[in-house]
Amino acid sequence: MDATDKPRLYRRGPLEYAAWAVCVLVAGGLAHTLVTNENYQWNVVGQYFTAPTILEGLRLTIVLTILAMLFGGILGMVIAVMRASTVRPVQLLASGYITFFRGTPVLVQLIFWFNIAALYPNIAVGIPFTGISHAVDVNVLMSATTAAIIGLSLNEAAYLAEIIRGGFASVDKGQIEAADSLGMSSRKKLFRVIIPQAMPTVVPATGNQMIGMFKETSLVSVLGVAELLQSTQLIYARTYQTIPLLIVACLWYLIMTLALSYPQSLIEKRYSLVRSRVSREAPVDPVPMDGEAR
Amino acid sequence: MNGDGTVYARRLRKCYGDRVVLGSIDLDVRSGEIVCIIGPSGSGKSTLLRCIDGLEEVDRGILRVNGEDLGFVETDTAYRALSRKEMAMQRTRIGMVFQQFNLFPNMTARENVMAGPVLVKGVAKKAAASRADSLLADVGLAGHGDHYPWQLSGGQKQRVAIARALAMDPSVMLFDEPTSALDPERVGEVLAVMKGLAERGMTMLVATHEMGFAKEVADTVLFMDGGLVVEQGPPTAVLGNPTEARTQKFLEKVL
Repeated sequence: MDATDKPRLYRRGPLEYAAWAVCVLVAGGLAHTLVTNENYQWNVVGQYFTAPTILEGLRLTIVLTILAMLFGGILGMVIAVMRASTVRPVQLLASGYITFFRGTPVLVQLIFWFNIAALYPNIAVGIPFTGISHAVDVNVLMSATTAAIIGLSLNEAAYLAEIIRGGFASVDKGQIEAADSLGMSSRKKLFRVIIPQAMPTVVPATGNQMIGMFKETSLVSVLGVAELLQSTQLIYARTYQTIPLLIVACLWYLIMTLALSYPQSLIEKRYSLVRSRVSREAPVDPVPMDGEAR
Repeated sequence: MNGDGTVYARRLRKCYGDRVVLGSIDLDVRSGEIVCIIGPSGSGKSTLLRCIDGLEEVDRGILRVNGEDLGFVETDTAYRALSRKEMAMQRTRIGMVFQQFNLFPNMTARENVMAGPVLVKGVAKKAAASRADSLLADVGLAGHGDHYPWQLSGGQKQRVAIARALAMDPSVMLFDEPTSALDPERVGEVLAVMKGLAERGMTMLVATHEMGFAKEVADTVLFMDGGLVVEQGPPTAVLGNPTEARTQKFLEKVL
């Protein structure tokens, strides 16, 4: 064999072999127990995997995720814009919101919204000075599902606001100056210059939040909302087949997360390309200019 | 043309905290005059241009662009700030070209040039697009309308930026070191466009390190140092036969 054609064999460290050994051992052990331990009751998993109650729960989980992300996104955008405002009180209001909703557990917030009637039993909607008003019983208004949507959305808005703010901060200051220099109004500046350029940072992060939100919805089971987890609980409360039903829930969460991960990776790839193009926008001349160098 | 194309300043002063960036600037720029501002970095030439474009707040003094107090209206006792809208109107009459181009990366070259007329003046898209194409042709970029900034070289980007500023029909053009971020072989193409603009009678204030350009094109050269105008006059005097020691020292290093 000609020496120039010989393959080069690189060394593998002993650590890599050890890691493989551990990997195989763990996988083998896991497979063994999954198959031999009858308490997993795989037949029950199969039986309930596509049961109507479970699928109905899954549907509600998907709806909750979409609504929470939608409302959270809209509100998050508003808060991010307020946070970036030069008017101090507006800014303070936004940071107060973010501090509060990020500083308290979502679970507590959800229970709080569910019980808001204890604080405000009635709300009256009316037109001032006309005597026209309509009172609503908050207990009726605030169903478990409503509380779930409100709680998840308001919480998510705080996180998305921070992500969007980060996106705004990633836009070069020169862009704003160029827009100002043309005499652009704040609104045009926001929608035509800042937001489009913030998207490459905001969109991938929002995708991650959505994957997180999908699992976060399981918290609303404490309010008795029949989403995926609560649906399994409803069944095993009756049949005592706790583990197999939790496995059903886990499998669905896993499947949905994986299904969301694929578009997420496409989005990340696409936007990292956009980012690299944008960053090439301002090449710095390696040759220092005459007067500047000294 | 919008406005009379003059810039007038008296005892213009600007500080960042305790640091004085512009000490006391007097300016008298006639319509159609080409003023080149030279000086070491940190001398305040960029800040002066940024003040004239309203990007920096002025602390004290008079600043009139196109015969109007920039961003303010004078009352008996003070200068009262204009509304954002009124300020934006004034800015449409002033064109600014930045060292780092600051093209909008989410828009094509054509859309960049259209941005001002469409988004600010409400010009119909079709009319703005054909105007943009002719402006791009003027700066030697015919056929580049569909290219995004990342597909253009530095010199091309800067020429798009000039076209973008011109699309607003300004009567004063400000250039903040327009060639300092360019590869040396790209400098000429941008300077050529600026020369053409000067010949057509545009009022121009140019902060630059290009002494050749200043000598050839400028009506007046301002030498700034430490936030003050140290020396000013025709290029033959300031560049050829400077009277101030600081000017002499600076030119010795640069030329």
